[in-house]
Amino acid sequence: MQPSLREDYLEAVQLFSNKNARFPLTEELAAALSKPVPAVRSDIEKLVSGGDVIIVAEGSITLTAQGKQTGTCVMKKHETLQCFLSEILGMDSHRASDEACTLEHTVSDETIDRLGKLIGTHEHHRHQEKGKHRTPAGERACKGETDEYCESPGISDFSEGDEVVIQCIHGRACAQRLLDLGLVPGEHATIKRKLSNGALVVQVKGCDVAVSPEIASAIGVERLP
Amino acid sequence: MKIALLGNPGVGKSLIFNQLTGLGVEVNRYPGSSVELECGNVCYKQEKTEIVDLPGIYSLDGNSEEETLVRTFLTSGGADVIVAVLDATKLERNLYLFVQAAEFSPKMIAVVNMIDAAERQGMHIDAESLSSHIGVPVILAAASEGRNIDRILPVALGQATPAKVHVPYDHHIEAALKSLEKTIGTPMHTNLLALQGTGDDTVLLDAAGAIAQEIGMRHRMSVGQIIATNRHNFAREITASVVKRTAQKKPYDLDSLLTRSFPGIPILCTILFLLLLSVFMIGSWMEEIIVTVFTTSVIAPFLALGLPPLWNQIGFSVLIALQAGLGIAFPFIFTFYIGLSLLEDTGYMTRAAFLSDRAMHRIGLHGEAIIPMVIGFGCTVPAIMSLRLLKTRREQTIAAILVTMIPCSARTVVIAGIVAAFVGIFWAFSIYLIIFILLILTAVVLSRITPGEQFGMIVEMSTLRRPQARLVLAKSWLRIKEFLFIAMPVLIVTSILLGLFQFFGLTELFEQLVAPVTVTLLGLPGYASTALLFGVFRKELAFETLAVLAGTANLGMVMTSVQLYTFAIVSVLFVPCVSTIAVLYRQLGARIAIITSLYTVFLGLIIGAIINILMK
Ligand SMILES: Nc1nc2c(ncn2[C@@H]2O[C@H](COP(=O)(O)OP(=O)(O)OP(=O)(O)O)[C@@H](O)[C@H]2O)c(=O)[nH]1
Ligand SMILES: [Mg+2]
Repeated sequence: MQPSLREDYLEAVQLFSNKNARFPLTEELAAALSKPVPAVRSDIEKLVSGGDVIIVAEGSITLTAQGKQTGTCVMKKHETLQCFLSEILGMDSHRASDEACTLEHTVSDETIDRLGKLIGTHEHHRHQEKGKHRTPAGERACKGETDEYCESPGISDFSEGDEVVIQCIHGRACAQRLLDLGLVPGEHATIKRKLSNGALVVQVKGCDVAVSPEIASAIGVERLP
Repeated sequence: MKIALLGNPGVGKSLIFNQLTGLGVEVNRYPGSSVELECGNVCYKQEKTEIVDLPGIYSLDGNSEEETLVRTFLTSGGADVIVAVLDATKLERNLYLFVQAAEFSPKMIAVVNMIDAAERQGMHIDAESLSSHIGVPVILAAASEGRNIDRILPVALGQATPAKVHVPYDHHIEAALKSLEKTIGTPMHTNLLALQGTGDDTVLLDAAGAIAQEIGMRHRMSVGQIIATNRHNFAREITASVVKRTAQKKPYDLDSLLTRSFPGIPILCTILFLLLLSVFMIGSWMEEIIVTVFTTSVIAPFLALGLPPLWNQIGFSVLIALQAGLGIAFPFIFTFYIGLSLLEDTGYMTRAAFLSDRAMHRIGLHGEAIIPMVIGFGCTVPAIMSLRLLKTRREQTIAAILVTMIPCSARTVVIAGIVAAFVGIFWAFSIYLIIFILLILTAVVLSRITPGEQFGMIVEMSTLRRPQARLVLAKSWLRIKEFLFIAMPVLIVTSILLGLFQFFGLTELFEQLVAPVTVTLLGLPGYASTALLFGVFRKELAFETLAVLAGTANLGMVMTSVQLYTFAIVSVLFVPCVSTIAVLYRQLGARIAIITSLYTVFLGLIIGAIINILMK
């Protein structure tokens, strides 16, 4: 079962139970999701075998602790996202958020578009959580997770004495420390030393920072005009 | 009242702490020298005030051990007042941490330290203007001269207030913070962390993660980068309005020598070689004096007392232990620590790290690993504790095994006392050479077989500074005290044990048991096995015990040169001492401790056997 589909179901069950103070029957859930009953029934069976829900005697679909956790998470996530969208769309913040949070599925085209993207990225999100308790930044190596938006050359392509403007940091792991040391986009930096292996001393904000070659190549820069 | 010192690494927190409390805490010049919380009490106006020295950090957002520690400390309201220590010469970068800390809204004051260095660079900092920008009292101080340090406590206790800073975040970030606050109800600093993926509330993290992705897509830049940029820009604006610079003649930049491959690397090698050579020379010279004086003025009179045999044996063992302890602590370790402290206080260590980055990459480590290795020449225990500089498990494992192989001062005593004294000084150096080759081979193999990914070095270069004799001595003294504290009890207890063993004739039993290894494989006299065994407690005991068991200090009379050489090399390689094993276990777990111990035993025996076969 698609993780996004699973989340949609759990969210719907959670929403229903929040609204009606009881868990839905299969037919009610199908109505809420506007899907045909047989499809919902077969999906629910998968959820049961996944340990997310159980069917109690009267046939109502009851969330397990695990299902409830996911359901709440997804619900909150959507709610917050909509709040956020209305914030930046510039509506009156109080009313907008109230509305956006209650009107789950009737928002502007842009939001639906965004939501679509969000659901498209669920896959990615799940992955991150599998490794659970997110590996501390230091444990991940620099390579891998690159910042796909940034096409500037690495600072390692420049030579000693060059003055550059930092554009972006590729890779999330080393990014944090570099950002903290002041290597942020837009900052001017001078290459004070470059060894033959590519290790660099970069001067930024009046401080010298020494980096290994592989880290240097993760710092995207442009030459100072 | 509880006051905590917060600041970037190397801004002088520990020095201020020492001056406020009069306690000794290590003052170091490489990032992250203090990792645990140090606490001390002072009485101010009849009120007990506890002062905490927090580890130095660059940011409160990260996930490193120190950052998490300080963050937890702040969120749990660990202190009533936070004294933010800022480096005047790097004010902009230091304010970045300040604005982060201010978001947790504790009561704060700011101490702008190193004002002496800033003045020398022609920087003038307007304390009042800074204070009005950040909304807390500001003290301009110079801890190394003790300037204005006495104002810290009165101001911290009397005038601390929550800082009034509000970083103008990007409006998308602001919108995200508002939404999270509304829907989840968490405070701003928690939300900021959650947007960057830190926290333990899964509902919050999930919601924040979704928004973060959204913002990332709109800006084509990760949320972490946006937040950091906003904070840095804010810090830059403040700095621009409070710092005035007068043009100053640039002093000669020593780094144009120190950080180039040439002459930087030759300088690095020379410095390290001189450090070891002077420890070796000064150490053996001073040790001889101490041992002679101790023997004639303490041991001889004691033996002349003619106590009953058992008591005589115990008393003698204690004295021998004291002699061994003093004979190594002051000549070797203290000399080494003075050299090390000099290197650290000048700020040279970070240059060494930069230069050795390339060589260290070959063995699966990065430049910063040079620091534990250099410390390891003094004593393995603090060297292993400093391994947390290295971020990944893989690096720590490789470095731990290498560090335990590095000849510490105690092993220097064995090499100097046995090989240099009875075989020849060049043979003594050949032992270093053999160990060096083994180290490299081990490192190359380890870097191939240890699982995990390699991680590069990002290290801030410490400012080069002339070291102050008083501070260097104080630091060396502190370290030697720590050493005596760990080593002396072990030394005395094992020495008494050895005495009793001998007294009841148990040593012979042991010697017979392992005779096949010692006598046949290594070609050593039977009693050498006992000496090796006791070397496990403290390395120099191998030498002392050998002399006691041989019944003469003139080892050259009872053993051949090959035997002495073999003995020295086996005991140097063979199993790290118990304190090392204990600290390995504590830092890296039982598996690494056992693997390291077994590996070194095999290495010692194999090399010993090879030498025995080749040279016999
Ligand atoms: N010139 C000058 N040097 C100072 C001053 N205060 C401290 N130092 C030097 O700065 C260096 C670092 O001081 P520490 O007290 O170890 O710094 P720290 O903040 O505790 O560092 P970490 O424990 O690594 O976080 C030492 O060599 C001090 O002698 C000062 O006011 N002026
Ligand atoms: Mg410190």
